[in-house]
Amino acid sequence: MRQFFPVDDLARDERFVQTNMAKRMADSRSAVGVKKSAKSRGASNRLTPDRHDASEAARSLMHGIMVGEIQALEGAGRTAHDFAAGDGSGDTIPFELKLDMARQAWDEARHVEISAKLSDWMGTELGQFSENTVLFEAACSNDPVLRLAGVNRALEGLAIDVFTQMKEFGQLAGDPFLEFCEDWMLADEVTHVKMGSDWLRKVTENDPDRRAKALEFQQVVDKLFSFGGARGDSDESPIGLARRFRELAGFTDDEVDTIAEMDHDALEERKAAVRLAQEAAGV
Amino acid sequence: MSTIAVTPERFTLVAYDADRIAEITRGLAERLQLTNPIVIEVDERTPLGKMSASVDSASSDATIRLQLESGALEDTKNLTNFSDTRAHLSLGRLLLRASDRLRDDFADAPPDRDLTNAQNTAWKVYCGGRLERLGLAPIQQQYRYDFRNRFGFRDDVDTLFDRLWASENLGWHDLPG
Amino acid sequence: MSTDADTASTARAPFAPWDRRDLPGAFDVAETARRVGNYKWTEMKLFEALGGWVATVPELDVKMRLGTHCYHHAWHAELWHKRLPELREMKPERLTVPANDAMARFITAMTEPEGPELTIEKLVGVYRVLIPRFVAAYTYHMNNTSEITDAPTIRTLKFALQDEFDDWRDGELMLQSLITTPDQVRRASEHQSALEAIMVEAGGITGPGSIGGAE
Repeated sequence: MRQFFPVDDLARDERFVQTNMAKRMADSRSAVGVKKSAKSRGASNRLTPDRHDASEAARSLMHGIMVGEIQALEGAGRTAHDFAAGDGSGDTIPFELKLDMARQAWDEARHVEISAKLSDWMGTELGQFSENTVLFEAACSNDPVLRLAGVNRALEGLAIDVFTQMKEFGQLAGDPFLEFCEDWMLADEVTHVKMGSDWLRKVTENDPDRRAKALEFQQVVDKLFSFGGARGDSDESPIGLARRFRELAGFTDDEVDTIAEMDHDALEERKAAVRLAQEAAGV
Repeated sequence: MSTIAVTPERFTLVAYDADRIAEITRGLAERLQLTNPIVIEVDERTPLGKMSASVDSASSDATIRLQLESGALEDTKNLTNFSDTRAHLSLGRLLLRASDRLRDDFADAPPDRDLTNAQNTAWKVYCGGRLERLGLAPIQQQYRYDFRNRFGFRDDVDTLFDRLWASENLGWHDLPG
Repeated sequence: MSTDADTASTARAPFAPWDRRDLPGAFDVAETARRVGNYKWTEMKLFEALGGWVATVPELDVKMRLGTHCYHHAWHAELWHKRLPELREMKPERLTVPANDAMARFITAMTEPEGPELTIEKLVGVYRVLIPRFVAAYTYHMNNTSEITDAPTIRTLKFALQDEFDDWRDGELMLQSLITTPDQVRRASEHQSALEAIMVEAGGITGPGSIGGAE
């Protein structure tokens, strides 16, 4: 078995169709108003049950969660495999970090089970929506510290935001399973973010350059995971930034503010790109 | 046979074919024995899937107007691409709704834009059961989940759903909401 | 007021009538540490392989099981890692080694299949060859070590064995559901034979004597 596994080789059955961020962003349509200060759906785009397309949007997001969990499982499994146990320098990671990654693999496997059950409950077929492989790409780095930054801090941070949104959705809709399950998954994600923060600090304790590079990488991934502003403080973003749970996971206020700014920038950049594309197409 | 006009005639942001949309609509209209002229407007600027049906009068030769956001016809596995299956279900639902609106007992139904989420969902479920009996394959659990989201996650709501799904020839006032 | 209960003796035998544990054991401290080091090395190689394979198998149920089992074996490795210093090995890495070259070759051969069409081979290696060897070696160790002096090892063996049995059953169920044609039967048995031959050469997870010697 190879040491590193490319995203293009992720194994799926025939029901799943994969896409990537480049293709996703090449779609020149937009769910948000692209004219300056315009909004497409009244006061808010937040994913709440009172949206006319609430169930369909929730189904799509739940499927996104499920494939995201599959990739998170694959990413954690690969990190447990790809690096030899050592002192953390070079291509090695501490033995205890390998153990944590194995534990995370189990957690993510349960999350796949949970989200597959929830998808079924909501009437979604496996593979009904395309799978964006951007999450695994963040787990592909050859530097284990970048994986911690990309996966445990950025990806799992996004998961905190998404699960908080879905938990609220279930609570408002009175869905007895959705709220219950999201609450459990949220607890795991807070653990994973904390695990990533602790290891990142520990492994780079005597290597400030490596730490700086990891945090820089995390910002890049955070912006990518904003999905063009789909996640953010703005009520134009379907998914909010879960400040309280991020705080529990060890994010500082400054870090969350930075993410919020990046989300805002990503939203504006996306709107500008869509506006240009639609003008060019004459629609 | 219905005359069918689709706009835009040529799509630029999505890989849709106006002729194929017209062809599917024609087939569905024949199965529903609708001979009215049909106008279809697709908004390709948004990936959302909102849609509505209206008739310009209650007369038998009224023009049926169907408005859809591009997501309503989209292959969710291959974004910006057209899905025959999805198009059949979306256009079928709109044509059923239009044919309901041509009935006297739907005279009190508000325009689609004024429907509450609950009314919209109840009508959708009523259409879903009929689509299944027409030989299409709507996923019943999706409709059930939508219905529960609007009316509650309770056994009596599920019973109401089952009755609605199995019904034919209901009037507007028979629908919950 | 005094009662009979107040004056009754509390002196009892150190071992209750139902406690038949005995002192003698087949392994001294050094031999126990050696075996535990082999266990840890092999459990590590197993959890690494399971974790790595998750991304390579297209079957969703198998993917999730591998992720779950990955942690079981990581936990066993952790328990053995913690046991080593208690057995006077202050540098656990020193004993975290394969029993012999054949055992190292076995792991290389077991982890070789990578393609998405090779799920049967991956599962056969783990669930029809390696895990049965774990069950055997752990059972032998548990039944032959001193029940009193080596109680901590026995406790870990019992935890680990419970997982091994559960995972073995999961793996066998997955295999039986995947092997449905004569060609798949052939693939599974050929791969099992090839791996089994290397394992026989190794003598088991702790080398010759993994399950004692034939008498």
